[in-house]
Amino acid sequence: MSQLWLALQAGAQVLFAALLLGAGLPAIFALGMRSLAYGAGGTAEVAVESKPRPVGKVLAAVCFGVVVVAILLGISWIVGTGMGYSLVFDHLIPTFRKK
Amino acid sequence: MIVLGMVILTSLAFDFTNGFHDTANAMATSIATGALKPKAAVALSAVLNLIGAFLSVQVALTVTNSVIRIQDSTGAPNPQLTANGGSALLLIVLAGLVGAIIWNLLTWLLGLPSSSSHALFGGLIGATIAGLGFSAVKWVGTDTKLDGVVGKVILPAVLSPVIASVVAMTGTWIIYKVTKKVAEKFRNDGFRWGQIGSASLISLAHGMNDAQKTMGIITLALIASGNWTDLHAVPLWVKAACATAIALGTFIGGWRIIRTLGKGLVEIDSPQGLAADSASAATIIVSSHLGFALSTTHVATGSIIGTGLGRKGAQVRWAVALRMLVAWLITLPSAGLVAALAWAVGHFIGGLAGAIVIFAILIGCAGFVFWHSRKNPVGHHNVTDEWETSAGDVLQVPVVPVESAKEAVR
Repeated sequence: MSQLWLALQAGAQVLFAALLLGAGLPAIFALGMRSLAYGAGGTAEVAVESKPRPVGKVLAAVCFGVVVVAILLGISWIVGTGMGYSLVFDHLIPTFRKK
Repeated sequence: MIVLGMVILTSLAFDFTNGFHDTANAMATSIATGALKPKAAVALSAVLNLIGAFLSVQVALTVTNSVIRIQDSTGAPNPQLTANGGSALLLIVLAGLVGAIIWNLLTWLLGLPSSSSHALFGGLIGATIAGLGFSAVKWVGTDTKLDGVVGKVILPAVLSPVIASVVAMTGTWIIYKVTKKVAEKFRNDGFRWGQIGSASLISLAHGMNDAQKTMGIITLALIASGNWTDLHAVPLWVKAACATAIALGTFIGGWRIIRTLGKGLVEIDSPQGLAADSASAATIIVSSHLGFALSTTHVATGSIIGTGLGRKGAQVRWAVALRMLVAWLITLPSAGLVAALAWAVGHFIGGLAGAIVIFAILIGCAGFVFWHSRKNPVGHHNVTDEWETSAGDVLQVPVVPVESAKEAVR
């Protein structure tokens, strides 16, 4: 019975973190797509055709940037952990530190 | 020495089947939505598996410890199994691998995405029961640690597809909500790029997770036979051989399984593909960090079902899902049974001859499955053909709109 409880605890942790990353990042990506379509105007949107709006492209770049940075950090963190380093944030700058 | 050679070859063969059995987990959705051409997809996945396998530096030599007792906690094999050049241990490992490979090949023939890690654990458990009895299997963990067959294999297998499908369902729902006003073609083109990215992450994580199981087993065999002594490192050639085997397997592409996962379960669009792949990647990576052992196959399948549930009007072919579920349930005992038989054959013939006979049986079975598969080949040319729905394949999914569900809760 304790095994079931432990598994549920671990599962809840996985669910929470995976929701944050596995649904959160796609959500930001979707926001980026929405902004990109807003920026492109014309046939990119379902609504009546409109002129291109540059602000949309900027917003899109920000969203895609966030996603790419998150993924790159994720990969370096996994690889770093495998090599015995841990990724720490020194004043928001990611750096590797030997364990 | 010859037996050791056969164990190594069989391990690499398992790694190879592991590769093509699991190509679908990463690439099925990208191929199905046309984000990547089939051949490009398997090539990309193969390269990333290769890189991932080399990056898995912290290889656990204790891979068998979670289910059976043939090693101590440092990774050293039990002394009573290492006598006579480790022949007792080598026979258990060889029989276990034979069971795992035969099961992987059979499920591939049927196009069923069963878990390669379950096949491996099942094989090892079966061979151990046959060789050392029930008490040599670690069934449950302690009160404080998730361990044993129940804690490391069965419970994660039940929970992980559920977790992945919840994540994928949530992601899918958000994506369609956010991009409602974006024209369909514009949206699908954009999401294809995201999909390639998230599928790549799964491939990388797969190479890191799965190749190291084989590395651990080969190194265990080397230690048991007295050819390696370091308990903290894997010989470089073992790492290179395993990485190559899994990458080659991936490159061959398990087209039958790709077809089932990509086309059979749910008809998916690229936003759903992105949601499913991101959910899989996140679940696999997070849980391997937290030490929650799971199978990439269960996660990928759960994600794809979840993405079907998260989109209004999408259908999940529950009959196909049910067939997979049955395959999952019987993977562990079936691989175990084959392995136990292989052990018995090897043991009663005895010595070198026994090992050679089971090795020959494996080659025979592999040849038979391959010959059988030629009758209706599935390859990159027909992998995305329309899924011919057989009667009973489709059951309408009761999709509850979220608003009305909320109201029902109130």
